[in-house]
Amino acid sequence: MSNKPKKLQRYNRLQKIMILGILLFSIPAMIFALSADEIIQEMDRLSTFETTYSTGSIQTLDRFGTKTSLFKSWSQGKKDSLIEFTSKAERGQKILRTEGSLYLFYPDAEQLIRMQGAALRQSMLGSDISYEDMTEEKNTLDNYTAKLEQNETFKGNECYVLTLTAKTRSVAYPIQKIWVDTETYLTWKAEYSTAQGRLLKEMEVLETFVSEGRVIPKQSKIEDKMKKDSSTLMSVDSFEANPKLDRSIFTLENLTW
Amino acid sequence: MVGKTKRHTTMLFCLSLLALLPLAAAESPVISMSLLPTIQYQAKDDTWTDTMVADLSVSLASKREGNVRGEVVLQGNSLNPTPSFDSIVQKAYFKARFPSFRLTGGKTRLSWGDGMLFNAGDVLYGSNDASVSLTQAELRSTTNWLASVNYPLGLFSFAEAVVMPSETGVPIDMLFGARYYTTVKDIKMEVGYASMNPASSVRVHKPYLSLQGNLGFDWYLSSSVAIPEAGDIATETGESWMISGGVFHLMTLPLDRSLTLRLEFLTRPFGRWETGAVKDSDAALLLYPEVVLAYSPSLSFSLRAIISPLDLSAVSTLGMSWNIFDAFNLIGSISLATGEDGDLFAWSSSTSSSFSATVGSSWVF
Repeated sequence: MSNKPKKLQRYNRLQKIMILGILLFSIPAMIFALSADEIIQEMDRLSTFETTYSTGSIQTLDRFGTKTSLFKSWSQGKKDSLIEFTSKAERGQKILRTEGSLYLFYPDAEQLIRMQGAALRQSMLGSDISYEDMTEEKNTLDNYTAKLEQNETFKGNECYVLTLTAKTRSVAYPIQKIWVDTETYLTWKAEYSTAQGRLLKEMEVLETFVSEGRVIPKQSKIEDKMKKDSSTLMSVDSFEANPKLDRSIFTLENLTW
Repeated sequence: MVGKTKRHTTMLFCLSLLALLPLAAAESPVISMSLLPTIQYQAKDDTWTDTMVADLSVSLASKREGNVRGEVVLQGNSLNPTPSFDSIVQKAYFKARFPSFRLTGGKTRLSWGDGMLFNAGDVLYGSNDASVSLTQAELRSTTNWLASVNYPLGLFSFAEAVVMPSETGVPIDMLFGARYYTTVKDIKMEVGYASMNPASSVRVHKPYLSLQGNLGFDWYLSSSVAIPEAGDIATETGESWMISGGVFHLMTLPLDRSLTLRLEFLTRPFGRWETGAVKDSDAALLLYPEVVLAYSPSLSFSLRAIISPLDLSAVSTLGMSWNIFDAFNLIGSISLATGEDGDLFAWSSSTSSSFSATVGSSWVF
């Protein structure tokens, strides 16, 4: 009879030690665990260089074969980008995004077009990429609220899985689900959906390279889930991080040059 | 005799080499070709004709680097079997970038104002008539010999001045003009002026204003007048006053399809608000509706029309474009004029076909 309370006391003590132990072990994890916003900030930081210059291609695959467009691209910080197409059918066409405005230049007609509103969602050169996608500003938290769902392994890479919900109607995709590498903060996969959760597009990084210690996508596949037998491969052939760029690159004067 | 032939051959060889030398510094040529077999019906004569409309253009551009660049575009069309130098040379220009301004010289185009078909702000070429083919992707493509200076005034602003040779060959009759392009908040604003002396006329001064913005849909508005130096200045100025504008909206449809809607108008408030015997360049009101259904990024259907609301006549074009392979398109279109005798777009017009159908292809390589 007298042993029972002692056993109970010992059991209770053991239970308390165990709880304390769990708490002691989990507190550092809780302290050092990144919030969804911090993950997104780090993701944006690592994918943004002071300046870049790259060349690459957009290959659109459908049941008739592959259409290829070549481009040169310059970027500065989060908001400025200029793309110039170099393939024959589109040679000299340029897209400028700066200070929240998007301009197109068609050299054949010497025409400068300012794009606004729904026009930004037009398919670029018949690909699965819109003008908005191509020149997207890298300030995700300005437009989305982020929620960390879980951790998941994607193609052997430990990833944070986050859901981004649009704060404004001005973004192309109301909901994004992204798989962000826990070490390199590279977005390996993204699912773009409507506000009702209908999947519109899917992006997956197929190949990567390292520049300035950061992992950058070399080849990405974008699939429009609304279409059958159609996908777009976006490849980076050359990449230069932090080259010296003249500020005048991101002006109307240079766009129409 | 043999020596003369040899000399000629040597000269021809040297000239060919000289002509080809610039190609070494050029990008590879871009060739655009379209072959459009067309069947036309002319109601006035009750005749059917079939025509092969072949368009060919070769673009030779300098490398896109450095501070000087240029391009020569040579063009030929089967409908013009005896072309002139001016019709063959579609473009031939250079651009030189100086530290604070840019100089353009040669034959090219400057796009002033806003509007796909109707643009009252286009005081240089006059985008205000209906004599265009609605089957073309680019409705206005007139080029001219010119010299222009572009002076940047910040990120989104610039000033531009232009001089064009006169039609009469007399220096005092030359065209000159200037514009200022800027963005005020969310509205793009363009204000400019051109002065010209059309052959067999008096010099006219054409100020214009052009605005473009977005209110959930894109909108644009342009207005210009032509003020003559002599004659009945008040009446002629009033009659020349033009306002053009348009709205544009893109709707995303299920299955990644999209519907593009555009409606443009051109009005001359003091023009001829009457029917019959009115030229399109004098019409008081013209409309241009355009509906494009992008069934997929490579296949689209379009319905375009130029409507004269005063006499309820119209010329309409139903088109199809299918981008099958790299820069290779299948194109088809049917055009129809619907108007009574004396209307602007009369079915039995003597100047244009009543009905035409085209199926062909275009390729850029």
